[in-house]
Amino acid sequence: MTRETQRRPQGASLSRPTPGDIALLVFAQSAELAVHDLYTAALNRGGYGDDEAAMVAMFGEHHLAYAQSIGGLLGAKAPNTRNEDLYRQFVGSLTGGAASNRMLQTLENTLATTHTDLLSQLEGTEGANLIASIITGEARHGATFGTLPTLSLSSALDNSTLSLAPKSPAATKTSTTETTVSQ
Amino acid sequence: MSELHLSRRQLLRMSGISIAGSLALAACSKQADIEQSSNIASAGTVPPTSALPPAEVNDVVLLRTAASIEYNAIDTYELALSAGLLTGDYAQLADAVKRFRDDHQRHAEAVNKLTVSLGGKPFTCANDRINSTYIEPAIALITADGNPDAALDTVALAHALENLAAQTYQGVVGLLSSPALRADAMRIGQDESRHAVVLAQVLNPGYASVGPTVNATTGRPNIATVPSAFGALGSVSLTIGAPSPEGVKTNLILETPSLNSLVYEYVSC
Repeated sequence: MTRETQRRPQGASLSRPTPGDIALLVFAQSAELAVHDLYTAALNRGGYGDDEAAMVAMFGEHHLAYAQSIGGLLGAKAPNTRNEDLYRQFVGSLTGGAASNRMLQTLENTLATTHTDLLSQLEGTEGANLIASIITGEARHGATFGTLPTLSLSSALDNSTLSLAPKSPAATKTSTTETTVSQ
Repeated sequence: MSELHLSRRQLLRMSGISIAGSLALAACSKQADIEQSSNIASAGTVPPTSALPPAEVNDVVLLRTAASIEYNAIDTYELALSAGLLTGDYAQLADAVKRFRDDHQRHAEAVNKLTVSLGGKPFTCANDRINSTYIEPAIALITADGNPDAALDTVALAHALENLAAQTYQGVVGLLSSPALRADAMRIGQDESRHAVVLAQVLNPGYASVGPTVNATTGRPNIATVPSAFGALGSVSLTIGAPSPEGVKTNLILETPSLNSLVYEYVSC
């Protein structure tokens, strides 16, 4: 079982981000930086116990790590600036404690949906693998808000948010496969 | 005990005689119409081997493997419900377990639909190797006499399988050939991660248990709701079973499907 074809699937695709991917990853990085800043705003607003605040701070740091990793992939093309529209849309709703958490959960779910949408457009596997690992993290964040302080199965498991992702020029030109697995 | 001293020259001469002798014997057996046995290798002949059918790792194989993992989870949840493994406080998890089972059924159907759309055959049963390597030994440990934590261990097994499923989907992203398929995989993979979160909070509840922590007594990592910033692709640790006299439980290490556990196109239920 050592033949190259047994290790590499048919149609194994590009590795580095394509020009179309770069536009999508730029968006992803700016969104992650906005969400990192929104977590900071939530912490500043307060209303948390010590352990809860530590969790919120950790999730915020995760988003900074996501932005840095995407930046590493983009290199000199990384904008390293937050998405102002996204920041302004949510910052006023972070009124403290449980109310902030509800908004942060919506953000996490929105980012998971957005990144899944990005994944459906990314051609290079380096970007795809990174975004996939971020989706896992954000899905976990979103679900955690549904389990604490008390478990709500539907809040933890269901995600009906809409994607914020832009459409890649390449995706709009060449998209032929409709996504068939419903959320 | 006597020792036999042979020079290098003598050794070479003896090995030459042995090879020449076996060649002569092999030739004689052919001349004497002696039936060749495939069980005994003889000089100058190669026993026939039965080759595996051609096996290519393509999108269909990856999707069939994902479907098989879904059935592993479905079967495990069914067993937990039908065998009454969730007892005491854990009995109240029945609704969650039914939801998880139904989600996996929905995932399996969606994945098989994708398989069919790519011209492959759907796979509608559990992965044999995952069963025999991980799940059956785990169930044996959980249900063994003297295990005081059977219900807790059942939840731990479910948590490990959810993590395994989540990692399986994340792991195939770079192998699937089209962006649309990758997104489909992660639509399902993130559901498995959410299941794992709920179960992690059952096993180790509270805000303080969300991030990674270490058990002060054993020095091993505790179950974490969000064990790392990024989705991991490493092995999944599962600690279950009756404790030893020293208080140590058995640790199983689960790995996502690899070349020897993929559901190739020639594999059927």
